[in-house]
This record gives sequence, C-alpha cells and structure tokens, in this order.
Amino acid sequence: MSVVVEGLTKAYGRRGHALDGLSFTAGVGVNGLLGPNGAGKTTLIRLLATVLTPDGGTMRLLGRDPATERSAIRRRLGYLPQEPGYHRGFTVFEFVDYVAILKEMADRRARHDEVRRVIDAVGLADVSGKKIRALSGGMRRRVGIAQALLGEPELVLLDEPTAGLDPEERLRFRELISRIGENRTVILSTHQIEDVAALCARVVVLKDGRSAFEGTPKELRALAKGRTWLWEKKAGLLSWRTGEGVFRSIGDPPEGARLVEPTIEDAYLLLLGEGALAAAG
Amino acid sequence: MTWHMDGGLATRYADGDLDATLAASVEAHLLACARCRGLLAPQAPRARLDRLWDEIAEAVDSPVPGPFERLLRLVGVRDHTARLLGAAYSLHLSWISAGALALLFAVLAARETTGWGLVGFLALAPIVPVAGVGLAYGRGADPAYEIGLAAPYSAFKVVLMRAAAVLVTSALPALVIGFALLGQSWTVAAWLLPALALTSLSLVLSRWFEPAHCALAVSILWLAGIAGTNLREPSLAMFSTVGQLGYLTITVVSGVLLVARRKEFS
Repeated sequence: MSVVVEGLTKAYGRRGHALDGLSFTAGVGVNGLLGPNGAGKTTLIRLLATVLTPDGGTMRLLGRDPATERSAIRRRLGYLPQEPGYHRGFTVFEFVDYVAILKEMADRRARHDEVRRVIDAVGLADVSGKKIRALSGGMRRRVGIAQALLGEPELVLLDEPTAGLDPEERLRFRELISRIGENRTVILSTHQIEDVAALCARVVVLKDGRSAFEGTPKELRALAKGRTWLWEKKAGLLSWRTGEGVFRSIGDPPEGARLVEPTIEDAYLLLLGEGALAAAG
Repeated sequence: MTWHMDGGLATRYADGDLDATLAASVEAHLLACARCRGLLAPQAPRARLDRLWDEIAEAVDSPVPGPFERLLRLVGVRDHTARLLGAAYSLHLSWISAGALALLFAVLAARETTGWGLVGFLALAPIVPVAGVGLAYGRGADPAYEIGLAAPYSAFKVVLMRAAAVLVTSALPALVIGFALLGQSWTVAAWLLPALALTSLSLVLSRWFEPAHCALAVSILWLAGIAGTNLREPSLAMFSTVGQLGYLTITVVSGVLLVARRKEFS
C-alpha cells in the first residue's frame, strides 16, 4: 500500500479536531475522499503532502515515515492544492518550469523536456507560451495538474481538482485523472460524488475527522440497498420530488413504498446521517 | 539532377562520416530530391533524430526570460536560481524601481523642506529591504507557496537566496542615492547594519508569523525608535557606534537562530 494512515489526529487550536483518529489505506489507482465541508479532507491531503505535521497517529507514505524522510517522500509526490496559486505573470511553460526547479530538476535540458512532456500530457502544448493570467479557469487547473505530474510521481494528491469547472471540462479531467491513476496512487478529494462513482477504485468517506466508510464505490452503494424508495408522500431521512411527481426518499422505508436501485449519492447521504443533512441544508 | 545517392553514401551521411564539403553537397541535393530523402529516411539513427528534435524544441519552445532573470544570468547566476529569484514580486524591476524612487523622493523632500535629509534617509533606507524581504516569500506573497512547501527544494534556501537578492537590489540604489545627494561621508552608509539587523530579525520572526506582518512590525519598531530620538532636533543617536554594535549583535544572533531553525521553514 502506498498510503497507510493509522489513528491520525490534527487539531487547530480552539476550532477543535480536524482529524480525530483517522485510519485508512490507499494503493495504486484512483482513491476518492468524500465528505462534507469541515470533515477534514483538505487537512488530510495537506498531511499527506507533508505540508502539515500530525498531532498524533502514524503515517507511512510510499513505505517511508514523513517525520524522518520528508524530502525523500516529496521527491516522489505530486500535489495539487485546493486553491493553487499561480504566478500569473509567468507563461504556462515558465510556471511549470519554476515548479520543476522546486522539485530539484537542476539540469536545464532534461528539465525542459520534462516540462514539455507534462504540458503535453494535459493538452496545453498549444498555449505553453501564454501568460497564466490569460487562461480560463479550466486551463489553469490543467496547469496545476501538469505541475503535479512532474517527475513521474508515484503518489498524486488532488484536492478538489474539478470544483467550479463546467461539465465539459470536468469530463476532460475525469479522462486525465483516470489516465494518471493507471500506474500510480492518486488520492482525489472531492465534493463531486459522480466523479467518485466514475473514477475511483476505492473511496473513503470522512465524517467529523474520522473514516465513516472505506471500500469500493459498489460497496458504498450497497449501504443504501433497501433504504432508497419512491412514494407519494415525503418521508425518511431526506426526500425530494422527482420529475415524475413522486418522492424519492432515503432511510427506513414505510410499508407500500417502492424500493429502487440506490446511487452512491443515496448511500453517501445515508452515511452522513441526519445531523450532516441538517447542516448541509 | 545529374546524380543520386546510393545506399553506402546515405549510410555514411546518416552516421555523420562525410567530410564537410561532401556533406554540404549531399544536403543541397537532398533539399531538391525526394527520392534521395526517401532513401536516407530509414538510415537515420532514431536516437540522433530524437536528439535533434529535442534541440529544435528547446530552441523554439523555451521562453525568453524576463529582464531581471536575464540580468541575473548575465552576471553569472545559474538559470534555475534566476527563475527562483525572478518569481519573487519584490525582485521584479517594478518593485526595485518603486523602492528606489520612494527613497529618492523622500530624501529630496526632506532635504529641501526641513534640512532633516540625512536622518530621513537613514531612517527610510533600511525599510526598503525589510519590506522587500517581507514580500519575497510566504503564503501572502508567493502564489505558489503551498505547492513549493510540498516540493523537496529547501524552503530555507529559497528564503535566504531571495533575502540576499533583495538586500543587494535595494542596497545598491540606496547607496547611490545617499552618496549622490547627501555627500561623500560614510555616515550615509550607516543604515546598512540596521537594514541587516531588521531584515534578519523579521526573517526569524517569520517562523511564527506571516513574513509581511513581521516586516511591518519591525519597520514600525524601527521608526518608533527613530522618532523617539529625534523629537526636537535631528539626531544620529540611533546610528552611533554603540547602536551599530547593537545592530551587529542582532544580525549575528538572528543569523544563528535562523540556521539553527532552518528545518522549520520547510
């Protein structure tokens, strides 16, 4: 396993625990991190990126201990933060080249070859000479992915890479992320449940800084089996009127309700429970 | 067209074994002869072609660096160091010129209107590098700070390189302005040690606080000290020998603390 986390805790002063004894593992392929706002997804990604240090628990990243072998891990790591900043006066090439230098690629020719490779991999070769300030939001995200791919990292951490993208760009990202996950470990933190269903081999659902579920998307969906139904009246944990005029609900079904095949979203909402639903609403 | 290449000639050309005159003749012929280009194509070693394409791509694609990066390379700074420095806002030409101009106008105004030119200059000159260093790195000043934190390159090294570059780029104009407008006495360079002390102190503090805030805090502290010693008439008390020894001590102690805590920058 590329990532082994046990009993991880991280607190932010008076704001309390962002992570509270989290344990999970992740291997090659795309691994999804789901959870509501404040569940600890970004804190976890930043801990895995070695940007933060945990208050307690243990982590093994790529077989190494980040407390003592941080630089060795960073050399094999690609990281796209939730809100990546860009030097907007740089061109795409210059920015990716800048990050390549931070990744200790000192030889100019070899570095430039690598920069061209990753820019090409995310489909930005035609705009590599353009200033970042002139790019669309989707293109900037692709620049972010490009820098995360520098040096063929074995562990790639992507924090909300598809947030705010239009459907076409999101589909393009899915294609790109699935390609990246073919031969390396990708940890994808996201709010987009459809992305998890479409991309992930495994998923971890975070709730209040702990793992509420760990398994395959199919296993997650199975949690809502027999607890998703259609009825004429509003009932259950959460209900919404469908286009056909009946209510789709999740929770314990009343008698006479017509059970339907659940989605991952149904299971996710069930898992979060009433408290989380109320907070989200 | 009086001649064509045979297999042997094509192989020797592809391997680079022809003398310059014959190679030039072959190249002139190849430009006009599709048949011989077809004969040569399978002979060309793949690795050599790839290398040539890489060289072409390097020549065409590599961006022309900005003026500051070019200047750095011109004085012998390596290209990757120049790029790391060029990414800092306070090392852009606009910032450097703005700092120099602010200093120039402040000195001119103070000299013309109040006669407090030297004190004003010595008070302001250390603030330019302190502000520059405060805006050279950190979450608020470096858009790619978070990405940089997760990279293996030493953050401490980046901080020190940028701080040194800011000190040099702000010290040179300040020295020129000082000597040009305020006379040839070495007193006009009395701000150098305070600048080093304030800069190194703000670097140490940036372990706990945002670098720009640290720069602001030490600048306010410095100006308060200047104001306190200049309440009635211009005074150089802050720049006395004792004062300079104090700045030297702060610089050395801060330097030791910085080195001792260098890992915490990552």
